[in-house]
Amino acid sequence: MDHSTPDQTRLPPSLRCAVLMTMDMDGPCHEVGRGIAPLGINSWGRYSPRRGVPRHLEMLARSGVPATFFVPGYDALHYPEVVRAIDQAGCEVAAHGYLHEAWDVPASEEEPLLRRTDDILRQTLGKPVHGWRSPSGRKSDLTMRVLKSLGYLYDSSDKDYDRPYRIRFGAAQDDTLIELPNNTYSLDDFPFFKFSHTPPSEVLSQWKAEFDGLYDNERYFVLTVHPRSGWGSGTPARTRILEELIRHIQSHEGVQFFNAAGFARWCLDNPNHLEEARS
Amino acid sequence: MKTGFPWPKGAESVIALSVNFDADAYDLLSTTPERLFGRFSYGRYGVRTGLPRLLDLLQELAIPATFFVCGLDAQRHQSAVREIAQAGHEIASRGSSLGPVPADADELDMLQRGLDQLRTAAGTPVSGYRAPNGELGPRTLARLAQLGLGYDASFQDDDVPYRIGTTHGDLVEIPMCYALNDAHPYSARHTNARVMQIWREEIAALRDVNGLVPLTLQLRGDFGSTRGSRISMLKDLLQTLRADPGMMFMRHDSIAELVRNAGLPVEPDPILIHEDTLSHTEYRGDLAVRPH
Repeated sequence: MDHSTPDQTRLPPSLRCAVLMTMDMDGPCHEVGRGIAPLGINSWGRYSPRRGVPRHLEMLARSGVPATFFVPGYDALHYPEVVRAIDQAGCEVAAHGYLHEAWDVPASEEEPLLRRTDDILRQTLGKPVHGWRSPSGRKSDLTMRVLKSLGYLYDSSDKDYDRPYRIRFGAAQDDTLIELPNNTYSLDDFPFFKFSHTPPSEVLSQWKAEFDGLYDNERYFVLTVHPRSGWGSGTPARTRILEELIRHIQSHEGVQFFNAAGFARWCLDNPNHLEEARS
Repeated sequence: MKTGFPWPKGAESVIALSVNFDADAYDLLSTTPERLFGRFSYGRYGVRTGLPRLLDLLQELAIPATFFVCGLDAQRHQSAVREIAQAGHEIASRGSSLGPVPADADELDMLQRGLDQLRTAAGTPVSGYRAPNGELGPRTLARLAQLGLGYDASFQDDDVPYRIGTTHGDLVEIPMCYALNDAHPYSARHTNARVMQIWREEIAALRDVNGLVPLTLQLRGDFGSTRGSRISMLKDLLQTLRADPGMMFMRHDSIAELVRNAGLPVEPDPILIHEDTLSHTEYRGDLAVRPH
C-alpha cells in the first residue's frame, strides 16, 4: 500500500483529542517475580484483584468510558475470574509480562515469556489480545518482531514522543506496529504515591494540567495507573480522583476515549495521519 | 463500591487507631545499648515526651487504641507499657525485637519470647501481632495461630478485615493502609499539613465505602506523631472523626472478635499459591526503592 507519511503525527480535525485510560493490574506477581512473598507490607498487589480492579471497573462504567487493563500472565493464572470480569465489563485486556519482569530479560527468554502470557490471556478470555506494555518499560531489539508474530497491533511502552506513531522494525512492508507511548513520570500514579507522598487532590491538579497542555497541542493523552494499594490508585480516595479527572476531560469539546486496541485500529485505518519511525 | 462489611449497628465506618511503640528497639537496629544517645534517642523521646502527650489526648477524647510493642521495648520500658494498659488501651505484639524475620526454625521461639516479655510487662492478655516493618515469613501466620493469637495486622490488601486459615487454625487479618501510616511521609520529611491533607482525603473516601480506617501512628520523635505540633494536628483530626456519628473507634482485639462472630468465610493462607514459584525465583528486592 502506498501512502504519504507525515513527518509528524497530526490527528485530523474530526478527532480533537484521543484519551486512553490504562490500568496496569500488577497484582501479587509484582512481588513474587522479585522473590518476595506477597505477605504483610508486600501484600499490596493482592489489593488489585480484591478491591482495586472491581472498583476501577465500577468507576469506569459510571463514567461511561472504556479502558485497557495490562495484565501480567501470572496474575491472570491466579485471578482468572477478575480478568474475565474486565473483559465482560467491556474493557480491554492486554499483556504485561509474565511475572512483571522489571529487569533485562535475556534474549533467549524473551519470546517464550511473551508467548506464555499471550497463551494464558487467550485461554482465560477465549479470544486473542491485541497489545502489550512492557513491565517497567524495558524492551529489546527483538521485542517488536515477537509482538508482531503474536498478531498484536500495538505496543505501549516507549517514552520518546507525545503522539502515537508507527514503528518500523524491519524492511518488509508489514514490519510495523503502532506505538502508543506513555509517560511514567508525570502521568503515572506510582511516582506521586511512592516517592513524593502527594495528596490525591494535588495529583488530580497535576493530571488536569497535563491534560490541558496536551489537549491544546499533541491532542493525545494516556494515563497509566495501578489498581493496587500502597503506591497504586485502587483505594477509594485515589479512584475518586480518576473519576474527577475523567469528568474534567469530558468537559472538553471533541474528546474521544478509546481503549488502546481501539485507538491502534484507528491509527491503522488512518495511516496518512501517522508518523513512521524506525526502531 | 461499598464494602458491605457488617460493622456494629449505627457505624458506617470503623477507625482502628494503632500505635507502633518502636522505641529503643528501633534505634538498636543501628547501634548498641551503650550508644543510645544523640541521634539514637528519638525512640526515647517517644517514651519520655511523646507517650504522656498521646495518652492525655486519647483520654481527653475517650478514644481506645492498640499499641504494638516488641519484647525488647517491653523489657526496657515496663512501666510505660503498664501505664498504657492501665489507661484502657490494648497491648499487642510486635515480636521480640524489631529485627528481620528469623529463619523458620527459630521463628516460633522468637514469637513466644516476645509474647512472654510483653505479657510480663503489660499484665494483660495479648491477642494480636503486627510484624516489624510489615515483613512476614512464609510460616509466620501459621505460627501466630499456633501460639493462640487471634489476629494479625500487617497486610495492605483490603479495605476491611477478613479471615485467613492456616495449618494451625484461623486468624483474623486487620489490614493497614500505606497512606494512613505516618512513618512513610514523615520519614520522607513531609510537612504536617501535607500529611493531614492526605489523611483527610483518604479517610473521607474510606468512610464513604464503609471501609476500615487503619490510622497508624509511631510514638517516636523523628518519624512519629508525638511532637507538639503533630499532636495538636492529630487532635484536630481525631476530634473531627469523633464528632462524626457514623464513625466508631475500636481496638483491634474488638474488631477481631467482631470478624470472628460475623460468619465470614475463611480464605486460604495466601502463601500457598505462591510458594512453588517463590522457591525457584531469584530475590531481587523491592523495585525502585528510591527515585532515579
